[in-house]
Amino acid sequence: MNKSIRSRALTSAAGLLLAGTLTANAEDIVIWGGFPELTEYYERVAESLSGKYPDLNVVVEPIGLRDHEKRVALGLSSGLDNATVLELIGSTANRYIVNDLIQPAPDNVSAFVKDDSNFEAFFQETATVGGLVYGVPVFRGQGALFYNTDMLAAAGLEGPPTTMDEYDEYAAKLTQRDSDGNPTVSGWSLRLSGGGGGIAEKFWINLHQYGGTLLEQDGDKYRAGYANEKGLAALRQYVNAVSGLKTVTVEMPADAAAFQREQTAMFIRESWVIGDTAKKAPDLNYKTAVLPRGSIALPVNLYVSGGSEKAQAAAWDFAVAANQPEHLVWMLDNVGWLPNRSGVDYSGVVAAKPQFGAFVDLPEDYVFFTLPSIEPINEILTRFAAQLVDAYADESLVGNDAAMLEVLKASAEETNTILKRAGILAD
Amino acid sequence: MLRRKRFWFAIMAILPTFAIFGWVRLFPIIETLRLSMHEWNLLSKNKPFVGVQNFVELFGDNQFLDALTNTAIIAFGAMAVTIPMSLVLAAVIYHRTRSRFSGFYETAVFIPHVVSLVPAAMAWKWIFDAKLGPLNAMIVGLGGDALPWLFDPVLSVICIIFLVSWQTLGYGVLIYLVGFRNLPKSVFEAAQLDGASGVQSFLYMSVPLLKPITLYVSVVTLISGFNVYAQAYVLASDTQGAPGRQVRVLVLDMLENSFQNFRVGYAAAEAVILLTIVLMLTMIQFGLLRGKGGR
Amino acid sequence: MSAKARVRRTNFMLDIALFIICILLLTPLILLIANGFKTPQEMLVWPPTLFPKDPTLQNFQKVFTETPLLRWMFNSFAFAILSTVAIVSTSALAGYIIGKFPFRSVNVIFVLFLATAIIPFEVYMIPLYFQVKALGFLNSIGGLLVGYLVMSFGIFLIRQNVIASIPDELLEAARIDGGGELWIFWHVVLPLLRGPLAALAVLAFFQAWTAFAWPIVVTTRKTSFTIEVGLANFQSAYTIDLSLLSAASAAVMVPSVIAFVLLRRNFVEGIAASGMKE
Repeated sequence: MNKSIRSRALTSAAGLLLAGTLTANAEDIVIWGGFPELTEYYERVAESLSGKYPDLNVVVEPIGLRDHEKRVALGLSSGLDNATVLELIGSTANRYIVNDLIQPAPDNVSAFVKDDSNFEAFFQETATVGGLVYGVPVFRGQGALFYNTDMLAAAGLEGPPTTMDEYDEYAAKLTQRDSDGNPTVSGWSLRLSGGGGGIAEKFWINLHQYGGTLLEQDGDKYRAGYANEKGLAALRQYVNAVSGLKTVTVEMPADAAAFQREQTAMFIRESWVIGDTAKKAPDLNYKTAVLPRGSIALPVNLYVSGGSEKAQAAAWDFAVAANQPEHLVWMLDNVGWLPNRSGVDYSGVVAAKPQFGAFVDLPEDYVFFTLPSIEPINEILTRFAAQLVDAYADESLVGNDAAMLEVLKASAEETNTILKRAGILAD
Repeated sequence: MLRRKRFWFAIMAILPTFAIFGWVRLFPIIETLRLSMHEWNLLSKNKPFVGVQNFVELFGDNQFLDALTNTAIIAFGAMAVTIPMSLVLAAVIYHRTRSRFSGFYETAVFIPHVVSLVPAAMAWKWIFDAKLGPLNAMIVGLGGDALPWLFDPVLSVICIIFLVSWQTLGYGVLIYLVGFRNLPKSVFEAAQLDGASGVQSFLYMSVPLLKPITLYVSVVTLISGFNVYAQAYVLASDTQGAPGRQVRVLVLDMLENSFQNFRVGYAAAEAVILLTIVLMLTMIQFGLLRGKGGR
Repeated sequence: MSAKARVRRTNFMLDIALFIICILLLTPLILLIANGFKTPQEMLVWPPTLFPKDPTLQNFQKVFTETPLLRWMFNSFAFAILSTVAIVSTSALAGYIIGKFPFRSVNVIFVLFLATAIIPFEVYMIPLYFQVKALGFLNSIGGLLVGYLVMSFGIFLIRQNVIASIPDELLEAARIDGGGELWIFWHVVLPLLRGPLAALAVLAFFQAWTAFAWPIVVTTRKTSFTIEVGLANFQSAYTIDLSLLSAASAAVMVPSVIAFVLLRRNFVEGIAASGMKE
């Protein structure tokens, strides 16, 4: 790079350095979210506040979940300059609360959350620590069964499976094979590979249908709860599907994309699939159904931290405003995440998009479970996932209950070691 | 006396750079290394001293050992592919410098180095696809069996080596090209007069003369290889419903431990081990690839 | 066949081989660009089609109207230029010193420089973040630059090139002629380093251009994003809008290629012009 270019670059760059310093006003509020598809929703909420706060500038900044988590961790531990509304999964927020990095909500907000007509006990609990309300529930991730009605009809099956045995039956009947007997279309697509704890989470959903749980709670301590009959039942189901009957294999396309391409007949996933499918495969004939016993629910709450008192008050107002029925209905209709607030009329949306029915019209005895708000939860899931991946690939486990139980026991030991290290192992 | 003057010039000249280094690199790194003997969950105010406990735990940690093995294989694999290939490619491109296409060659080889990996990864997922990818199509065409590239524990590591090499090739070619252009022409002219062929002058003259450059490419590729992360991450994601086996690599393990398991001290201990191993390997390379004048 | 014809034939074969290799290397990118023109429905098709059956410009439209892509490119560009200048200047002098002044303390400094490159940036990023925050540099180009002022590999590159192509005798001769050290550096060493410095400029520029891990924690305001950070926005929690992301990446490739071609011309011509070596 010759000298004249260099010196010109230097002077213009110095100018840019000064111009490039951007900070928000002290009176602004910032919204940090981990779901970029919610940007418009937050912008609408901000609009609705402009009457009460005409000078308020709301800066909406969502980014991918992994990076959002990093940004929040670094921001909260070093202190936030602006009043920031933080969108966090309850279990993640717990960490910050325990370390005094997030303060309890003001009284009016607390009353709003504790009002039973606004939220069910499950959602109130995830926003409360030690009796104090820290955040405002807003939406959740929840699972349901998606199934291709054309394929079910072709296989002579009426209606969705309602017990785990029926799931196995359906999976076998819906699998399509080529002349060599290898599956070309999987009956029931399962999460068999990929990164992170997702594999363990999906296993837990199945385990839940058998009445089992990954972690047993005992007061405020935990222990591994899957090295038993129920865990065995769940693992057996996977092993039979992958290595036994081969209704699904690791190399087959999986998940929403496979469902949309009609490469699988059914799978369990969250509500975002509805919006996604409307875009990518609008002609697909499919329905949704509730799971046999209940589902995972990952509630997301809004917390506030940083900034002046005045700005914080505005931020809390934002969090409550985000729960206005009109905004929640819009969110369900346009984004597909499930609002947590009770007493809101979603019938319009469900009438137009009946697939939402399995997410909002739930049986009385539907049992939710969620990820416990403990520090090592991620590590437990990730390590268990690694064990599961190996188990799914092990053909020798087919029909071998004793061996499968061994696998579960070994994993449970690992889980308990992690719990012990974190000081929360129940005896 | 002259030597003293030269010494002071050297120290003064390097001081500003060293000062910047001290502030943006040395200081945070030393802080990180110090953390390796403490336990810190990123958020709390206390960071209790735990001595070598983190290290002891690491040596029994399957995930860490897995990560270490995979990363080492990837780093050496990438090195083994990149060094000879970029050297030969650079030689050929240099030979064709006067061709009107030389710009195209250099640009084409370099662009993969600067493209964003997430969208590019989809193409690679397709290439490695067990049933429908062109790689298996080629193998079957040549009479072999289709392989589950993205799922087999061994093959998935090879996929990453492919992906890493695809990106570092351009880097290596660029560096070698500059090296070629700086070679003393007089020696080659003499060799040509003596009847040496192109290949001979390449093997017996260019390669040895380029040793300092080879040392650079080798060290940089190895260090970058040990820092591999994005490639493993994108191949495991389930883009288009085509998931892949997650190959555990060191940076992935460290990031998980820092930001998801909230064990910053533990992650720092991993960094210390990584530093020790790679520093040793780097010193070995310096010993092996000493150019003329012992440097 | 005459010698000249034989040379021409060899060259022709080499050109063919190079062409094929280049096309192979570019295949993933050709698919990437094709993806930018696909509708969400066509993106679903597997195996992916190389030529979209139903091409659309809606992705590119969306990218340019709904995201501040140009602003991001400007941020990345400013950041990259500044980083390049800083890195080239520091590496040139430091690399020369380390290469030609092998005192014990200088060698120790070299080992330190190199060792700092081994630790992955993502690991010491946390303490660095707190340092930058304390100085109030978050969300500014200054904060971005903190991680990109010096480049160990840059210093190493210059060192190797100094060793490979600047003979000690040349420097001795200049000293005997009465040249001061700085004068020697400026008038003897730098001109000979034109090629490596230009290559370094290219590498430093693109290192900043594609930087992700640091910018994403330092910049939280959407308007101060760099390109890679902005592109990460297209990934939501469970899905990636791949066609949109591909369109954006394809759009960003254009200035990348232009930047490379311009920078390259600088050092290829620079060398040709300087003519003699020795």
